[in-house]
Amino acid sequence: MTLVQQIIADHARQARAEVGSIVEVEVDWIYAQDGNVPTIARLFELHGLHVGDTSRIRFVCDHSVLAPDRLMASRVKDAERFAARQGIEMVPVGSGISHLLAAEQQWFRPGRLVLGADSHTCTGGAFQSLALGMGATDIACAMAEGRTWLRVPETVRIELRGRPSRHASPKDVMLHILATNTPEAFLYRSIEWCGEWIESLNAEGAATVANMSVELGAKCCFVSAWQGCPSGMMRIDPDAEDGARKMVIQLDGLQPQFADGHAISTGRSIDKADREPVDCVFVGSCANSRLEDIGTVARLLRGRSIAPGLRLVVTPGTRNIHLQALQHGHVETLIAAGALVTPAGCGPCVGTQGHVPADGDLVVSTMNRNFLGRMGNPHARIVLVSPLVAAATALLGHIPSLAELEDLTLTDDVSPDHDRADQPERAS
Amino acid sequence: MMQLRARRISGAVSTDDILPARYKHASTNPDELAKHVFEYFVPPGFAPFAPGDCIIADSVFGIGSSREQAVSALMAAGVGALIGPAFGRIFYRNCWNLALPAIEADLNDCREGDLVQIDLAAGQIVCPGATVAFSPPPPLLLDVYRAGGLLRHVAAKKLSRQSLQSQGEGS
Repeated sequence: MTLVQQIIADHARQARAEVGSIVEVEVDWIYAQDGNVPTIARLFELHGLHVGDTSRIRFVCDHSVLAPDRLMASRVKDAERFAARQGIEMVPVGSGISHLLAAEQQWFRPGRLVLGADSHTCTGGAFQSLALGMGATDIACAMAEGRTWLRVPETVRIELRGRPSRHASPKDVMLHILATNTPEAFLYRSIEWCGEWIESLNAEGAATVANMSVELGAKCCFVSAWQGCPSGMMRIDPDAEDGARKMVIQLDGLQPQFADGHAISTGRSIDKADREPVDCVFVGSCANSRLEDIGTVARLLRGRSIAPGLRLVVTPGTRNIHLQALQHGHVETLIAAGALVTPAGCGPCVGTQGHVPADGDLVVSTMNRNFLGRMGNPHARIVLVSPLVAAATALLGHIPSLAELEDLTLTDDVSPDHDRADQPERAS
Repeated sequence: MMQLRARRISGAVSTDDILPARYKHASTNPDELAKHVFEYFVPPGFAPFAPGDCIIADSVFGIGSSREQAVSALMAAGVGALIGPAFGRIFYRNCWNLALPAIEADLNDCREGDLVQIDLAAGQIVCPGATVAFSPPPPLLLDVYRAGGLLRHVAAKKLSRQSLQSQGEGS
């Protein structure tokens, strides 16, 4: 059986889980964010529901950390009141993005079945949890019953071969795969990511790959054991014979990518980008807001200033990441270069808190989606890139060519962990 | 048998397109949310929905965000069913959970405004141009649909279990 079949069978207390069958499963963990908790609260009231086991449920406020208006502030308050009434722990506001907290606080564990009221819950695949995004009714039902229903999906096992070029990151790999495959190949399916490049990733890279699997249309994903992964994670064998459909994708020489608005499937080499003036750069979101991402940006910006008139917004994924970025000197570097560093959370990704781009703005962002109006303004264009390309864009005022990116990184040591303050105990 | 009016929508549609995020963060009232359906992204030639409409999509419909509010807003706007080649996975669940049939079928010959007759249990769609067969929803989804949604279905199941138990105690 594939990983998804094994986990579903375990949670259905069955020996097997046949592809295509509908199975009732026990749920290990549930979390929900501030955009959906108010609707869940409404459903509880409407249907007279009662929570089963509150110890396995967490609420997170990450989308409207600094509520931008009266209505959103009041919905966050609804969420807080509902949590208090039901005795459910609401993680303190400003703690960070739910999916990154799920990793930090080990809600994601190998073999666990986790439901999140957000589509990027699939990030849990980096820890080999069966982590499924669901809507308010599904989450409300699971909160009350401790169970849910699943259709056992087919599995596509993707083996990544070769190595991308020096400046290409896991984000670039995902933008490339999104551009060269149609979602129909992955819709409703489970993706197992494997191969040497996958096994060489760290936690940050594995999480980016898992996070953007939903953009491929996948139901869930599993990343093969990576460098320093938690115990209990297994190596996914590209050649295993268990009924999974197999696919090989070559990464050799892959260059940094950009995906222009308003489709995720438009990724191509940054050498193809026009040198249009960029108005705003955003570094953040559940795709790219981890310490390594912020470190990459800070290293490029050190001793430099962002382009005149450009806004650079940096939103660390969690409060812990923000604190570590402070200890490493990254935040100081970013602010000195002209960046706006905001409290941890989703930042401006969904237009439910600032900065909202102006009409006609060109935004270059490390987010995972560039749907029309994503950041709260349908008259702004959003281009998706990696943290390194975002940093270079902030310096130059346009998307860099490969030569410009090479020039900018020439004097920098772009390898991680070469900072002046790398001693973990520094702040104590 | 459902009788609805065909409303063709062309191209891939995300849940961000159906309902921008800010509105679901501002209100939990579907009637309020319905005012903002397709506010940022207006499908070519789109006129507002009316009660009795059936969305006929020609590409994947409802990809992206988990927001169930995209479904409740469409329902409040009058949409009674969706037919399309494929649906976003979470959107598909959300539809059935709220008792809005989402049917995987290609209905290329159906024109805007045509009368569409849907027989869910038999797996058949009839419109002036064509008769199309589809795989009927599995029994669980049909039960959920007939109960008026997942939460009503679960409540009904619980009630029937309780009444069985009390009958057992009484005998």
